[in-house]
Amino acid sequence: MLVGLMIGSLGVGDLTLGPARILAGLLHHDALAATVLWDIRVPRLLVAMFVGAALAASGLVMQAYFRNSLASPGLLGVSSGGAAGAVIAIGAGWVSHSLLVLPGAAIVGALVATVAVLILARRGASTERLLLAGVALNAVLAAVTSYVLSNFTLTYERNAQILFWLLGGLEDRTWEHVAISLPVIGAAAALLPLRRPMDLLSLGALEAQSLGVDVRRLRHWLLALATVLTALATAVAGTVGFVGLIVPHVLRLLVGPEHQRLVPLSLVGGAAFVVGCDLLGRMAGGIRVGIVTSIVGGPFFLWMLRRKA
Amino acid sequence: MDATAQGVSALELSEVSVPGRLHKVSLTLAPGTLVGLVGPNGAGKSTLLQIAAGLLPGHGTVSWAGRPLASMPMLDRGRAAAWVPQEAQFEFGFSVRSVVAQGRYAHGDDAQKVEETLATMGLLRLADRPVNRLSGGERHRVLLARALATEAPLQLWDEPLAALDVRHVLEVLALARRLAGTGRTLLMSLHDLRVAHSLDTVVVLHEGRLRAVGPPTEILTPALLLEVFGVQAEIAPGLTVRLS
Repeated sequence: MLVGLMIGSLGVGDLTLGPARILAGLLHHDALAATVLWDIRVPRLLVAMFVGAALAASGLVMQAYFRNSLASPGLLGVSSGGAAGAVIAIGAGWVSHSLLVLPGAAIVGALVATVAVLILARRGASTERLLLAGVALNAVLAAVTSYVLSNFTLTYERNAQILFWLLGGLEDRTWEHVAISLPVIGAAAALLPLRRPMDLLSLGALEAQSLGVDVRRLRHWLLALATVLTALATAVAGTVGFVGLIVPHVLRLLVGPEHQRLVPLSLVGGAAFVVGCDLLGRMAGGIRVGIVTSIVGGPFFLWMLRRKA
Repeated sequence: MDATAQGVSALELSEVSVPGRLHKVSLTLAPGTLVGLVGPNGAGKSTLLQIAAGLLPGHGTVSWAGRPLASMPMLDRGRAAAWVPQEAQFEFGFSVRSVVAQGRYAHGDDAQKVEETLATMGLLRLADRPVNRLSGGERHRVLLARALATEAPLQLWDEPLAALDVRHVLEVLALARRLAGTGRTLLMSLHDLRVAHSLDTVVVLHEGRLRAVGPPTEILTPALLLEVFGVQAEIAPGLTVRLS
């Protein structure tokens, strides 16, 4: 399915390319197709895949951490934290100094949000408490972002950039963005050995500890990985909502709650979901991917909430 | 279990305190004993079990089979003692078999051991069911099975009988008796004083302090029960049930 969506993503656009021409373009046998693919569509596709994998894995980790299937980077405000960090860095003009500034600022912002959620909602907190903490945090971070928007002396270009991060999109992604999102691979790999302890943690921290899991260490790792994954995704695509909520949930319904399979499938499924939503938005005349995931995700979230209640 | 060699206590608490909940509790349990932990609501039973299981920070020292807990690696702890929580809430729909298999985390997986444990606890019929769809009593039996699957010589159970029907209460008690017979040590909190009366040893907690420890016939006197629980006690024949 991911492969099919990848081919679709490379083929659809102002210049429609069939599979044969995609292959020719990728191999530089077709100059026009090669330019379109290597300069525009391949980096966009790669960024979409990294963003999807990162957000889905991040949601999965937060769900195990909070023992709540409604925990996710968007609802808890971690994505907004990453976006606020990115917006501040852009607004202050720090971004021009180095390629590392933007993801760095997003990580700091996401980390601040994560710590705030931890203070507002203790582990094992009720769904209501967790979501309300997220609501409060999202509101505060939106205010921070609005403040930056309205008070910094901004050029038109900077404003456009900031809007881009708030709405979430994959337009004009370059190889630079691919490079920024590359550490997603490392963070995802670091998750693989934590799959079994994640199973135990998701059924209770004290229980996990009594069975021999070093819960303190595990929690620190999970929190760090979830934060970094969300921040990287946000740094290259802005706030793309609901991926971390929908993908793990659907996969849990399909293959069960064991992280052995859930972690790798969330990475692949998240990539497929974001590539698919991006494709859908492009075919519908250029709707941004963050808008598409929210249109799909909003009703889905309400359905989950209803099911849980 | 080799760890419960003769002469070494299975569990030793030395002046264990948790501010506001437990006050300088010292307790030594011999291997192969079946111990009931009783006391009114809020006496500190759950706190005592958690600190004995190494799950709560506090003052004082806890030792398992002569080894101070503070110096034990986490995986060793997972093999040496099992704890069963009072609450059996599951957010995710792991299968019963999968939850019981978690008991093998510190050992490495052992499918055969898991199947044996499922059979022992009468859970084979439910093995593929998601735990979050089970009744309260069934969920507690799954937690007990997970604790058994650890094969830990020290078993710390927080109100294991509270949610069970009468037949399962008797089965769990019979199982606990068999485990004690193989050298395991079981400390379980209870509210049913009649059950406590049938065990090897009772520990009475009252307002965070250790009130009495010893054989139930000597400890559970009408005077103590009146003082601790505020009830009048008498030994009288009444309805008696046993496994058929």
